Amino acid sequence: MYCQRMLLSAGVMCSTILAVALVLAARERAPAEGGVEDLPPYVRVEGISGSLKSIGSDTMNNLMTLWSEGFRRFYPNVQFGVKGEGSGSAPPALISGTADLGPMSRPMKNKEIEEFESRFGYKPTGLKSAIDMLAVYVHKDNPIKQLTLQQVDAIFSKTRKGGHAKDIRTWGDLGLKGAWAKKPIALYGRNSTSGTYVYFKEHALFGGDFKDQVKEQPGSSAVVQAVASNKYAIGYSGIGYKTADVRAVPLALEAGEMAYPAEEQYAYSQEYPLSRFLYIYVNYQPGSQLAPLPREFVRYVFSREGQQAVIEDGYLPVSRKTAEEALASVGLAY
Amino acid sequence: MTGGVAQRREAGTRPRSRRGRGLHAPPWAHGEPLIWIAGGALLLALAMILGLVALVVVQGVGTFWPRPIVELTSLDGTAYLGEVVDEETYRPDASVLEELEPEFVPKVRAYLEANAGITRRRLLRTENFEFTGSHFEWVPEFLVQRERQPEWAVVVERYNESRLYGYPRRLLVRGKVTARQPVDIWRQVQQHLPAVHARRSEARRLERHELGRLSRELEAQRLAVRQAELTHAADSSFVRQQQARWLATQQAVQAATAELRRQIDALDRRNAELVLELATTSGEPARVPLGEVVRAYAPNRLSWGQKVGLYLGRWYEFLTDDPRQVNSEGGVFPAIFGTLVMTVVMSAAVAPFGVAAALYLREYARAGWLVSCVRIAINNLAGVPSIVFGVFGLGFFCYFVGGQVDQWFFEARLPSPTFGTGGVLWASLTLALLTLPVVIVAAEEALAAVPNSMREGSYACGASKWQTLVRIVLPRAMPGIMTGMILAMSRGAGEVAPLMLVGAVKLAQDLPVDGVFPYLHLERSFMHLGFHIYDLGFQSQNSQAAKPLVFTTTLLLMTLILCLNLTAIWVRARLRRRFQAGHF
Repeated sequence: MYCQRMLLSAGVMCSTILAVALVLAARERAPAEGGVEDLPPYVRVEGISGSLKSIGSDTMNNLMTLWSEGFRRFYPNVQFGVKGEGSGSAPPALISGTADLGPMSRPMKNKEIEEFESRFGYKPTGLKSAIDMLAVYVHKDNPIKQLTLQQVDAIFSKTRKGGHAKDIRTWGDLGLKGAWAKKPIALYGRNSTSGTYVYFKEHALFGGDFKDQVKEQPGSSAVVQAVASNKYAIGYSGIGYKTADVRAVPLALEAGEMAYPAEEQYAYSQEYPLSRFLYIYVNYQPGSQLAPLPREFVRYVFSREGQQAVIEDGYLPVSRKTAEEALASVGLAY
Repeated sequence: MTGGVAQRREAGTRPRSRRGRGLHAPPWAHGEPLIWIAGGALLLALAMILGLVALVVVQGVGTFWPRPIVELTSLDGTAYLGEVVDEETYRPDASVLEELEPEFVPKVRAYLEANAGITRRRLLRTENFEFTGSHFEWVPEFLVQRERQPEWAVVVERYNESRLYGYPRRLLVRGKVTARQPVDIWRQVQQHLPAVHARRSEARRLERHELGRLSRELEAQRLAVRQAELTHAADSSFVRQQQARWLATQQAVQAATAELRRQIDALDRRNAELVLELATTSGEPARVPLGEVVRAYAPNRLSWGQKVGLYLGRWYEFLTDDPRQVNSEGGVFPAIFGTLVMTVVMSAAVAPFGVAAALYLREYARAGWLVSCVRIAINNLAGVPSIVFGVFGLGFFCYFVGGQVDQWFFEARLPSPTFGTGGVLWASLTLALLTLPVVIVAAEEALAAVPNSMREGSYACGASKWQTLVRIVLPRAMPGIMTGMILAMSRGAGEVAPLMLVGAVKLAQDLPVDGVFPYLHLERSFMHLGFHIYDLGFQSQNSQAAKPLVFTTTLLLMTLILCLNLTAIWVRARLRRRFQAGHF
């Protein structure tokens, strides 16, 4: 039904294709196939102590904590402070020097990079340290089978840049029958300091604006819990926060295409439309050497143990190639 | 006290109008309805407070009680093994039938029709995250083919990974199987565990204390070189001397470290030799080295006494241990300690300032428009949102003051900030500012309540104004000032929003006070119970497992504040007694 309407209005179709093409060009997708076994185990070096501070992404909050716990297994005398109020808090913390590590669930914006550069004279270095799939969650009893990105856009956005013909307000608009048809959709999302918010805005809303009805939550877990407690809710959050109370809806790039569930193989095969890298930004002067403590932390993150922690937190490890590139960008190698 | 008596007397002597109490007077003139409203308001407030406390206690107390393990086998043969943590009745959507294998559809349809479309489902904590990728599972009743409580279902809590639920399969010692029967395996595991734990804690002690000492030595010498380079020319003899000393330290530390490492590795290796193998419901056997096991128990075999023992043991762990698994397991000791240290430092900062300000305002300042303005400003300060104090603390204390302190005293450590970032000192000072109005107002009231006759008596004996204040007025005002401090401490200990900006973090295992010189590390970030609650509630990855802990931690925070208050009340009572005894 929905497809037919789409085919009928050629203008809408054109704009959709254009938008999708633009998004495809802009989107940074996760590379194919990774495996923790490819990565060498971490080898301890002596004489590491001091304190490390991490300020940034809330999506990566638990991951940073797991890493810090794991890192401390090698270096019990390293002090760690982990704070996660959103990716937007990482650049100012790196610039002011209050943090050594800036985890971000999105790449830095140009403005943030410029600010950093004007202070230090070189660009910050972003390390692709894990892969996340941004999932669209519904309540566990919700019978919805799949969504296209255009539908997601029409649910969350008031501008509908994805090109969906009309606004989606009720579950009936998405084709659900019976008691569901009349029920309005309750929208949950993240607050605007969050990298998840920015990523979702750019990739699922095609750069459009969120509806005013989206209830902004202070954390990734809070979104999932809100969806879990409201039967007619929908929300977006990282795959690592999935619980048994919610279901991640399979997503399709556009109508008529296959919808892919948020599962490991589809992130690596680049078929799941909302997979993204999670970054750690560091203040690294090109050509110099990282200080011993951040250096060892970076080496740990890209070791087998570090990427094992990524799996434990529900995210996906990066491939050996990505890991090598990341290490090389701060003058390191396996 | 005296003021109260005076007021009462005044009220007593005021002529009462009897005209309004006539028969034709409106009902509110009798005062009856108003009494009822006032009483009702009190009742409502009490009910809300008690309700909240009851909710927290009921939800928080049961968290650590070991629940029985059930095994549910679904129609297609998938088995779920775990604790039932929740249960609900619901009306499944018609679409559930479409997702089933065709062969089961008639059976399920018949079940649903028999129950008018309503069924039950249970939330099982199944864990085994490395095999299943999930921690919890909802199992609807209509899918359950068989249900049992296996005697030998066991729970294994691990140090570095999430829990395991399974059946003991084998025990391997140095690769050789020593037991295959659950009874034997369990007996041997319980025999080995104390020694394994002893070796583990010895290894961790060596790592933390001995290795820590060495790496601190090395770090100190590295900083000395850095400091020398900053203050002297690069090729001066002093710098060279420091560098030579650094090399010597490096060599000495390396040798000592290698020896310690050898000891630690030997201990860890011995622990790794003992491996418990569990059969899991997902098919793959799970292998756990005993060194990784925090505790292992078979809940369905536990007697009531053993359950109580386990329950208390978990509370003990909760109160005294470090958090594990991103705060969703283990203890909250660093958070308790951080909260205490912060509150104490805050009190130490706010008391002298608040009392001094109140003294000046009440005793020295001449009443006039300026003093009125200051009073209004103080009262307004009490109404400023706490997050504003947080922003001020971050900008002023952390960035400005802390940045300067780093420039002056810790230049060698830059660019890593020492005081130039959030820490327990800045958090305490921010909260001290936040609670200052409470203390000033309370102290002023207390000073005002000291009768003037006492001051005059003191002057008559020839005491100066300062002597009078310190010897006569302040001791008598002390109980009132303590009341203000109690209020300030309660407010400070329960505050979270500003702390998020000035130093409270999700995980900081190093305490602000420890046995390493200079013992008090006020620059360190710290964990705070209030922030911990926020973190568990809104940021934890495994939110279903974290939820009960939210209540338990809330219960703990409330108890802690109660204890702080009781201590302050006790101190106040002592002061009062002393003051009364010394009356004449």
